[in-house]
Amino acid sequence: MKSLKLYIGLFLFLVLTWSCEETIPIDSLQTESKVVIEALVTNHEGRSYVKLSRSRGFYETGATPRITNADVRVTTSLGETIVFVHNPTADPEKNGYYWPNANFTGEVGLSYTLNVTVNGEVYTATEELLPVTTIDSLKVKVDDEELEDPEVPGRIYSVLFYAKEPQDRVDHYLFKFYRNDSILLDWPTDIYFSDDEVLGETIDDVEIAGYYSEGDVVRVEMFSLTRKAFIFYSDLSNLLNNDGGMFSPPPANPRNNLSNGALGYFQVSAMDFEEMVVTPPGD
Amino acid sequence: MRVFFIVAWVCLLVNMAQAQEKFTLNGYIRDAANGEELIGVTVYVKETQAGVISNAYGFYSLTLPKGTYHVSFTFIGMKTVERIIELNADKSMNIELQEEVLNLSEVVVTGEREDEHVVKIQMSKNELNLAQVKKLPALFGEPDIIKTIQMLPGVISAGEGTSSFFVRGGSADQNLILIDEAPVYDPSHLFGLFSVFNADVIKDSELYKGGIPAQFGGRLSSILEVRTKDGNNKKFGGEAGIGLLASSLMLEGPIKKDKSSFIVSARRSYVDMFLKLADQDNLVYFYDVNAKVNWRANNKNRFFLALYAGRDDFNFDGEFGFDWGNKTATFRWNHLYNDKLFSNTSLIASKFDYGLGSSTQSDGFQWDSDLTEYSFKQDQNYFFNPRLSLDFGYHLTYRQFNPGIIEPGEGSIFKSTALQKEYALDHAFYAGLEHQVSDKLTFQYGARLSIFQNIGEQMVYEYEDVNNNVQPVRTDSTYYGDFENIKTYINLEPRFSARYIVNESTSIKASYNRMVQNTHLISSGTVPLPFNTWAPSSTYLLPQKADQLAVGYFKNLNNNRYEFSVEAYYKDIQNVTDFADNARIFFNQDLATEFRQGASEAYGLELMLQKRKGDLSGFISYTWSKATRQVPGVNHGNEFFANHDRRNSLNVVATYDYNDKWTFGGNFTYGTGRPITLPAGSYEYGDGYLPDIITERNGYRLSDFHRMDLSATLTPRKNAGKKYETSWVFSLYNVYSRKNPFSVYTRVTMDDDGNITGDGTQKEARLIYLFPVLPSITYNITF
Repeated sequence: MKSLKLYIGLFLFLVLTWSCEETIPIDSLQTESKVVIEALVTNHEGRSYVKLSRSRGFYETGATPRITNADVRVTTSLGETIVFVHNPTADPEKNGYYWPNANFTGEVGLSYTLNVTVNGEVYTATEELLPVTTIDSLKVKVDDEELEDPEVPGRIYSVLFYAKEPQDRVDHYLFKFYRNDSILLDWPTDIYFSDDEVLGETIDDVEIAGYYSEGDVVRVEMFSLTRKAFIFYSDLSNLLNNDGGMFSPPPANPRNNLSNGALGYFQVSAMDFEEMVVTPPGD
Repeated sequence: MRVFFIVAWVCLLVNMAQAQEKFTLNGYIRDAANGEELIGVTVYVKETQAGVISNAYGFYSLTLPKGTYHVSFTFIGMKTVERIIELNADKSMNIELQEEVLNLSEVVVTGEREDEHVVKIQMSKNELNLAQVKKLPALFGEPDIIKTIQMLPGVISAGEGTSSFFVRGGSADQNLILIDEAPVYDPSHLFGLFSVFNADVIKDSELYKGGIPAQFGGRLSSILEVRTKDGNNKKFGGEAGIGLLASSLMLEGPIKKDKSSFIVSARRSYVDMFLKLADQDNLVYFYDVNAKVNWRANNKNRFFLALYAGRDDFNFDGEFGFDWGNKTATFRWNHLYNDKLFSNTSLIASKFDYGLGSSTQSDGFQWDSDLTEYSFKQDQNYFFNPRLSLDFGYHLTYRQFNPGIIEPGEGSIFKSTALQKEYALDHAFYAGLEHQVSDKLTFQYGARLSIFQNIGEQMVYEYEDVNNNVQPVRTDSTYYGDFENIKTYINLEPRFSARYIVNESTSIKASYNRMVQNTHLISSGTVPLPFNTWAPSSTYLLPQKADQLAVGYFKNLNNNRYEFSVEAYYKDIQNVTDFADNARIFFNQDLATEFRQGASEAYGLELMLQKRKGDLSGFISYTWSKATRQVPGVNHGNEFFANHDRRNSLNVVATYDYNDKWTFGGNFTYGTGRPITLPAGSYEYGDGYLPDIITERNGYRLSDFHRMDLSATLTPRKNAGKKYETSWVFSLYNVYSRKNPFSVYTRVTMDDDGNITGDGTQKEARLIYLFPVLPSITYNITF
């Protein structure tokens, strides 16, 4: 549904072509700082993590406060418990991040329960690890507009994505695109996600985010999402792209799977990826 | 039905009790210049000190005992006609009124007091003076009645550049907008910059905000009736306008003189250029076409056929586009059964549809949605005597809701998908009696019985928990065949009005009405988009009901030069349709899980001072109002301000005829800012996202809105021998270029190209405002 959403966004953009904008100060209501949980369990070793932080006032800047003293564990539906430890390498960049204390990969078909205890308060969530569709291939194409007038010299290629969407089961997807290991967003509030309600089987020629130069390494990751996770990303996208309630609905907090009023999400996904070095098409 | 018969019986009895030798005087009242029927002409009988008002078709009827009477026909801007009538048999008399031209050489006939404002029973209703609307300053020089309606007391707009209006605390979809009796589901062009009403063809328009007669129903908060001209049946003529944004042409004339006439009008924009979209392949335009033919077979039978079609079309690079539009058709037959029974039979069709499409290779699709309705209406006026008249009738409406079909393009990733259609049948029986009890006291009472049926064909699902919109679980389904009843809602809507004349220039009025709404707009923003769909009341959507009480004080000052009124209202809405926080309203197969219905309360005070005659005319309106909602499942079930709640609103609208050549116009509008939802903080999540924390819906307000617009109309002296007249309208919108808030949103600090500035951890609030000072010129030719 991403494309349809994109078009709806475009209408709003159009309305705003008549408009001007400026930054204004607002009186932001203060609210108590809330626990924010960003957690992922995947079927790829080394990719599962939990990040714990706190919310802050609207005008505060810098990294948000990190929670470093929590007890974090994930229990599988088979009864196995994996303890996550805080920043084992003591990397100051990774404050607030927790990793499994042993080799851990998620398995399709199992459920996972997250337990986070912060100063005696317990936050939990349970998700199932659903299978993900495999990516067939990626292809490079010269983008005519960028060729004519590239935003960054040399970045004249776009990358096309191919897959077969299984029509006999319900799927929800989250996509991440990387250029030379850096995450890539066309717009800072973009989230690339989709359900399969209106998708046919043949997913051909879908342009991914960004433009690329020859020699760039492009990586596409496709994650399976539960219905709840899809709703969370959809809500998050609506919140990040809200126009202030004129044409969009009034902004609201995304619905999530965490107990006890925590913000964020415990995502459990199977992931498939495809990586390639960009070479001119036909070479 | 029962109520109707009882009311009818009461009337008959009242009538018989007064039986003596009586005769009826009736006829049509027309404008002598073009044969247009005049609505709302006061027909006053000096001897009985009572009068009637010509109805929506210019028809009047008076029943009086045998005798000789002085009857006057009075209408604003027209010379009053007085006739001495010897009534010794039933008599038909058509009256033509001449425009009042204040020239020294002519004798000015001053008629009876023009005190309709005080005397008529209808309260909470505003009429728009179309001639004045055309002289008022307008955005891009396009005169627009909706923009003037937004300035009336009790009416609030969500901001400039929108065609939505909010009446007495009701939302935008609670207004029934009618063009020649046919409903218009989306009145906007260019997302609301203009309305679909082309000022060239509009004869008059009226907004009912309260004390709504039993004849109207279907929406909670207001009825906006827009009637188009019938066409000049005396001579051929027309009007052309060339504006910055759009041009229009109107032609009218007799088909057979005094018998039949036609009018056609078309308007098309050339916004394409205005948008300055560089690529030549882009296409952005709207158009309107109105057409009407009207035939007076004889004094007893009249026929009309009115058509409207309008559309907006946006297309970008031939790659993607969208369009929307309304089409309406009205066929009307006015028939006079006898001297006292006037009937109007209408067949009406209306269709609103929109489409979005893309023709790019991988994600090509076409998405279409529409709403089609067909109505049959039978309305009767029965004039017992000048003190008693009865309106009654039956309306039947069939609606088909098609929320959306997606068809993929070739090689597209999409598959063909359709949402279920929904169907509804709506019957309404009504009767309303206007009863002048004494010289001072008049009552209007009646009721409307609405029988609404949600019908097949449809598959209706049952849900484990119908409020679970995250993961809806369907537990059962029931199939209903064509026209099979799924759900019926029967509602009785009582209507009551009273007017008491305190003295010659003062009256007090009160009214109560209940309104029921069975078509619901699926929109969760403040202002509806043309891409919103409508849904009927159904298993999961209850009829919305509103009870409104209003009282008013009406006073004419300075020999009826000034009309002053104060009205207070209280409105209570049950089952107001709202949507869950985060509702997904576009292409949702389980839309039923997003509906939330609750209570809404609105009250306010409206002051209006109007001057309709003289060189300087216009109005000043002030409204104090409040509108709140409390809906389970929205804003944690806490009460919140409605999106359109604005405490204070002040509007000034004026035109001044300086001399034969120059007319000046001005608008001033002031309003408290609309409520908005602002963050209470933010947090980090995922790939650099900084979402806000929301604690309270509509807990803040935009800053105050105020704006002044000015215009000057130059009508060069008509040269002898020339068969046409020209005029120039110069407009200046937002004279002092105030940056009026349209909306406020938040984002990570970034530059205009979307590149994050700073370290990506800082947020900012952005104010969106629309128009700076904007001059415009429009050139009009009337021939």
